[in-house]
Amino acid sequence: MDIIVCMKRVPDSAARIQIGGDGRSIDSAGLEHIISPYDEMALERALQIKEEQGGTVTVVCLGAAEAAKEIRQALAMGADQALHIKSDVGYRDPLTTARILADHLKGRTFDMLLFGKQSIDADNSAIGVMVATLLDLPAVSLVTKLDAADGKATVEREAEAGAEVIEVALPAVFTAQRGLAEPRYPSIKGIMQAKKKPIEEAQAPEEAALITLEALEPPPARTGGRIVGEGVEAVPELVRLLRSEAKVL
Amino acid sequence: MISFKLEEEQEIARDALRDFAAEAMRPIARECDETSAIPEEFLAQSWELGLVSTQIPEAYGGGGEARSPVTNAIVLEELAWGDAALALAAVAPAGFAYAIADQGTEAQKQKYLPMFCGEDYCAASLAVNEPTVCFDPLTPRTVAEPKSDGFVLSGTKCCVPMGDRASHFLVVARNNGSLDAFVVPRDAEGLSVSDNELNLGLKALPTATLELERVEVSAADRLGGEEGCDVQRVLDGSRTALAAVMVGLSRAALEYAVPYAKDRVAFDQAIAQKQGIAFKLADMHIETESTRWLVWKAAAQLEQGVSATRAAHFARGYAADQSMWITDQGVQVLGGHGFIRDNPVEMWFRNARTVGVLEGTVCI
Repeated sequence: MDIIVCMKRVPDSAARIQIGGDGRSIDSAGLEHIISPYDEMALERALQIKEEQGGTVTVVCLGAAEAAKEIRQALAMGADQALHIKSDVGYRDPLTTARILADHLKGRTFDMLLFGKQSIDADNSAIGVMVATLLDLPAVSLVTKLDAADGKATVEREAEAGAEVIEVALPAVFTAQRGLAEPRYPSIKGIMQAKKKPIEEAQAPEEAALITLEALEPPPARTGGRIVGEGVEAVPELVRLLRSEAKVL
Repeated sequence: MISFKLEEEQEIARDALRDFAAEAMRPIARECDETSAIPEEFLAQSWELGLVSTQIPEAYGGGGEARSPVTNAIVLEELAWGDAALALAAVAPAGFAYAIADQGTEAQKQKYLPMFCGEDYCAASLAVNEPTVCFDPLTPRTVAEPKSDGFVLSGTKCCVPMGDRASHFLVVARNNGSLDAFVVPRDAEGLSVSDNELNLGLKALPTATLELERVEVSAADRLGGEEGCDVQRVLDGSRTALAAVMVGLSRAALEYAVPYAKDRVAFDQAIAQKQGIAFKLADMHIETESTRWLVWKAAAQLEQGVSATRAAHFARGYAADQSMWITDQGVQVLGGHGFIRDNPVEMWFRNARTVGVLEGTVCI
């Protein structure tokens, strides 16, 4: 089973995000980065399948030169090789991103192409299915279970009060939802071996943007809470405020 | 030129172990301390990381990577940040395995190194400490009397990590005027292993006292065979590792105290704004970094293969003093919250006090 996993380098979920001086990017000074967690879950499941059945796992990353570290981390977890499509563009619309990935994936043979359901920075939830469409492959998003044998995959996705079980002919595209697999810690041996594994490099083309990012703004600072009363008597007022002021009911 | 820039794989190892420490060690550390026990699952999980086997040559089943005391110091700091007792339990077998890998005869390597390259945690330990006042590892009271086909060992060793389960001990003993180390299997006649010692800190780490009453070992059990070994070299590695553990402990206390002080308001002000506290926090930070540089210097010398005795002694001595001071200040910054067991700083304080005395006093 040959599996390709697309992964993105994103700011650490625990990092404090600051807006850069240009007002439309994130200030990367001192910012720690990680593999986007859903991509890491997809990678973990790919590695498990490789360990069960043999085959290869290739990671593909479209991102800055600095993403080499996260690519090495994926190799340290057990991926066999990587393709790093280098790009300095901070923000790129999903369709352009999907086209670049699809262009590089076209012509490669694989049984499965995995993505996280979304990256945790842009949160578009779009790339996996867009790439599948561009490559004319079947796709199932948000999978929580993935098994493959005899040229087909059986996947599960969460549905209301149950699970959908779907069978798909391979090759196919899947996006990982939480629950698919718990990523392993890279072993020291894996980390040391990773530096000997091949990373193929390519340059992302400069394309006219379909969407431009005009500005980034931090969310408004949280203000202090308000005590509206005590005991049962306070409930009607609380409900009124939740409905009329907070607009959450 | 001196560069403090880590290699890419060292950065990845640091980040991976940092996650492991936060997710697999911190959540169980308090219970391990309270119950004086280490879950088998933790030992299995840490073993999977290849902390010991990776740097054992491929010929004996290991990962075949070059020995890197610098990488190991980085890794140990992260593990000890998670918990010092669990960290020492995870790497205790390396004390035995690396001594064999570095100074063992070919037969010793073939016999013992594969034990550490399997899937299951394999316990074996260095036995250096002795229960004497101002113990100096270079002048142990444990003696090895030569006899026709081997040696007879007599003496007492204490604070032997993983003593409750280690299958083999590497016992440091005086052989006439020189120092030697001997492989002693747990079931050797004349060797008795005590129940777990009751310690001030590192309570989760099982340590035992070994009584050696005329234990006979063969000449082939002397580390390095006929040529013997350089015990100082073993101690240099071990001291550097212990110092790295103390850096992790210090950083744990620092990183706990800083946000606490920023959050804790007294007299209408966060206590971090008060000069008395701010100076403490700054000094804790300076001393943590200073200790780390001493550790890295000793580790770098070990890696280069030059004598690291002085650097390792400096690193361990400084780390022992500073980690006790830093963890003490951690308790102090938290005030009343510092000594109650709801917060971990009192545990780190006990642990620092204990790591500082392992492998002999720093007073001489």
